[in-house]
Amino acid sequence: MTDPKKSTTEADAIERAKQGDESAFEVLYHLHKRRVYSLCLRMVSNPSQAEDLAQEAFLQLFRKIGTFRGESAFSTWLHRMTVNVVLMQLRKKGLPVVSLEETLETEDEAPRKEFGAEDLKLSGSIDRMQLKRAIDKLPPGYRAVFVLHDVEGFEHNEIAEIAGCSIGNSKSQLHKARLKLRDYLKSMRAEKAKTG
Amino acid sequence: MTCADLERILCDTIDGDGDAEFQAHLRSCPDCSELVGELNLIVNESGKLAEADEPPARVWVSIANQLRAEGIIHDPEAKPVAPVPAQPRRWRLWWLAPVAAAILAAGSYQLTHQKNSAPTPQVAQQAPSQPQAAKPAVNPQANQPARVAQEVAPSAPRSAPAEKSPAQAAEHPPEPAPARNTESTEEVAQNQNAPREISPPASAEDEQFLGEVSSRAPSMRTTYENQLRAVNAEILETQAYIKRNPGDMDARQHLMEVYQQKAMLYQLALDHIQ
Repeated sequence: MTDPKKSTTEADAIERAKQGDESAFEVLYHLHKRRVYSLCLRMVSNPSQAEDLAQEAFLQLFRKIGTFRGESAFSTWLHRMTVNVVLMQLRKKGLPVVSLEETLETEDEAPRKEFGAEDLKLSGSIDRMQLKRAIDKLPPGYRAVFVLHDVEGFEHNEIAEIAGCSIGNSKSQLHKARLKLRDYLKSMRAEKAKTG
Repeated sequence: MTCADLERILCDTIDGDGDAEFQAHLRSCPDCSELVGELNLIVNESGKLAEADEPPARVWVSIANQLRAEGIIHDPEAKPVAPVPAQPRRWRLWWLAPVAAAILAAGSYQLTHQKNSAPTPQVAQQAPSQPQAAKPAVNPQANQPARVAQEVAPSAPRSAPAEKSPAQAAEHPPEPAPARNTESTEEVAQNQNAPREISPPASAEDEQFLGEVSSRAPSMRTTYENQLRAVNAEILETQAYIKRNPGDMDARQHLMEVYQQKAMLYQLALDHIQ
């Protein structure tokens, strides 16, 4: 995941940003803007809100850039801040946020075996809008891990650092998120088949 | 390997191909093969979603403007000019640095010692009728800085009451409660329908801070005043949330980060006006 060339550019930009160099902030912004914005957008499903959240995440980061010592990867630090900003916003809206340390062991979580008709199978391709809608239905905690791993490409050890959970929990939450998505997509497909 | 065995290890195997036993079971079991195939399809399609996500240019413009306003970005052609004050002036600003440190200390204290506080009856009674918080930092709406700094600055010129939070919460009740707390749905509905506005009272330290900024860098007064309003409103809002959800560690971490922001604001001003 780490590109040496990018690391050099990023490291140089971080040092210049600490001196207040505007172009350095802009370099850092453009290096990470897509992932930060994508994470926000996948979490809140509203482009305008996602813009505000991405802006807030970058502002919080840039205000503290003087304290960055390089103990963790810059992107990990940034994405941790982004996840916190997003989850805080969701909490303020009164949405239940599943703690990333919780492991829900209910029957509902168990993978189901479908013996239905061919049109219920997720074969071939998945409609992108349906996939986005299914992701929107995920509880925020599951959604965060799923987006970080399967959409943004973070590894479990990075997610554990970003989200403040264990690697085992990250894998467990991801697995459950994928199973839920499978169920949602099959339901959508069944509904579509019914209505024709 | 049985289907139950495969499901049990699927969590750990899912990002890899699995061992020979795993693959052999998939070849022999149509249901498990279908499950793994569908999960892989979801993963592959999800990975393509981020390709089209690009924030509009105005996001960077807003960020840059905000950083400039806060003095974090320095224009190399026009360095912020603050004449080096004479010794008496520097002496008068000595309290800013310990106030900044005290703000951080108070934040730590609140995070570690107020785990079991619950909303007072006074807070619950006032919650439906009083205006609520506005949107924080990005669009600051609060009218005045909070009293929070009073209880955290023992070295400040004025003394502060020992216990402020319940009174503050009573004056400025929390925003509508999240679904999982203990407030009734009726109270939540009333809160959601009430106009939302936080007007934290001015703290002595914040007022003195702004007074110093006004006298030494008047052009920066509005900027720092707006930033103080935003961060104080955020502190109040987060404190209120933590009161209702004392076990929420992420919220406590967020509160700590907001305290850090306020401390940094004081430090930034100190750097600019000295």
